[in-house]
Amino acid sequence: MTMRETWVVGAASNRFGKMKESAREAATRVSMEAIRSSGLEPKDIGHTFVSNAFGISEHQAHVGPLINGGLGIPEVPSATIESACSSSSAALHEAFVHVAGGFEDAVLVVGAEKLSHLDTLAATSYFAIGADYPFESKNGATFPGLYATLATAYEHTFPTRPEMLGAIAIKAHANGARNPHAHFQKEITMETYLNSPMIASPLRLYDCCPFSDGAAAVVVASKEFMKKPAQEPLVIRASVRTGSITEMQDRPDLLGLPSTRAAAAKAFRQAHMEPKDIDFLEVHDCFTIAEILALEDMGFFPRGTAGKESLEGVTTRDGKLPVNPSGGLKAKGHPVSASGASQVVEVFEQVNGLAKSRAVPKNDVALTHNVGATGGSCSVHIFSRR
Amino acid sequence: MSAEELPTAPHTIHDWFHGYEEEGKLRGFTCPNCGLRTATWGLACQRCGKADLIEVELSGRGTVVAFTILAVPGDDFLNDAPYAYVVVELDGGGRITGWMPTVREASQMAIGDRVHYVPSYKPGVQFAKDSDARSAP
Repeated sequence: MTMRETWVVGAASNRFGKMKESAREAATRVSMEAIRSSGLEPKDIGHTFVSNAFGISEHQAHVGPLINGGLGIPEVPSATIESACSSSSAALHEAFVHVAGGFEDAVLVVGAEKLSHLDTLAATSYFAIGADYPFESKNGATFPGLYATLATAYEHTFPTRPEMLGAIAIKAHANGARNPHAHFQKEITMETYLNSPMIASPLRLYDCCPFSDGAAAVVVASKEFMKKPAQEPLVIRASVRTGSITEMQDRPDLLGLPSTRAAAAKAFRQAHMEPKDIDFLEVHDCFTIAEILALEDMGFFPRGTAGKESLEGVTTRDGKLPVNPSGGLKAKGHPVSASGASQVVEVFEQVNGLAKSRAVPKNDVALTHNVGATGGSCSVHIFSRR
Repeated sequence: MSAEELPTAPHTIHDWFHGYEEEGKLRGFTCPNCGLRTATWGLACQRCGKADLIEVELSGRGTVVAFTILAVPGDDFLNDAPYAYVVVELDGGGRITGWMPTVREASQMAIGDRVHYVPSYKPGVQFAKDSDARSAP
């Protein structure tokens, strides 16, 4: 099958944290900003893919047509894409398929979430329905609990010092402090990390991403449609989605996420690249342990070593392999349905010289990795300059 | 394929809940093709894809393969935190997840610990440590 060369041509994000406005309003605003940043107009958009997994908490489903209406393009089709925490990277994949396959010239991807109107208990319960409800959540699982269970299994096989997880949290906050979109723009120390309360052993408060509100959007268009891109586009070299057994109880191996392994392997094949070709990454660090698992699952470090590498500073902004220069889900925040698109916003800003004090040394090739819940779904995208 | 040939599940998710809540029994499936045993509901085996699942009763005894102590609970467990959430490898095969109200600190539990299912009026599949005298199997 011949595919058209497909680009990310515009991107925008609001500041993650606590939004006064609804997800619908925030999504419409960042969509307008992303479209304008690409040099296109809303009328150029042929389809929109919208993610708002917990829109039901705002008593709103089918939000896509409302966003299109707010953009002045109510006649444009919209579909809502839900894949838990990987919703908007799944939407990006749909956009890629539509543009690369020649069905549309330009497509909008937007993810938005608002949870701050809920208390911690209600928000925790909403997050937990992304797991297998009768076979996991009903038995007492929470989202941190499931990743903590993976962490316990990992630490049993690969001795892991708390400082290794702490190094990931500290690095995330150091980067978030330089990102105007980030929920947490404050550095933390190892002492603060180690003294923070256990949420789900061995995960402390500072191992966990926050509940965030936020919205992020990207515009995807074909090379041939973009005669004169307004900004340096990202060429989509790989756009991969995978699935795997959701339930921990049915996975033979708890030392990683099978869907991440499969997605990365397929993405590297699609892009004709290897891990050594990647200049920087945005990975799904909903919890610090998730960053360790992701880096090992994708082949950046041998199994059992990503914690040590993190402690030695290899993944800092100016390290050999910068990971999550945005601050990641951990510090930038995790507005579930916005997170996948937001990773691409970071790549776009790095490549276009907009990352300022958090700029990574080399930004020719980047990878984004976004996981749905505990790995029932996974997206990996690889981008390069023209 | 005619309607008669469509695979059916030996029991429903409702039957699963009824099994551990009312009958003191952990209903599960086994795949005669690959031997997988599981509590998870489906029409076909998650491992090999064959749609020949048959009903089994899973053992209520097993070994902890992964766990956490949850300080911040889900809403069904509001008054029970901290508690352990466990993945248990059951004797005779199959893994299951559950929770343990009597294990409240990480120091009370290790991977490899022996546990058993305890029928309870509370929600969820509940386990206790074999070494916990108050609920010996």
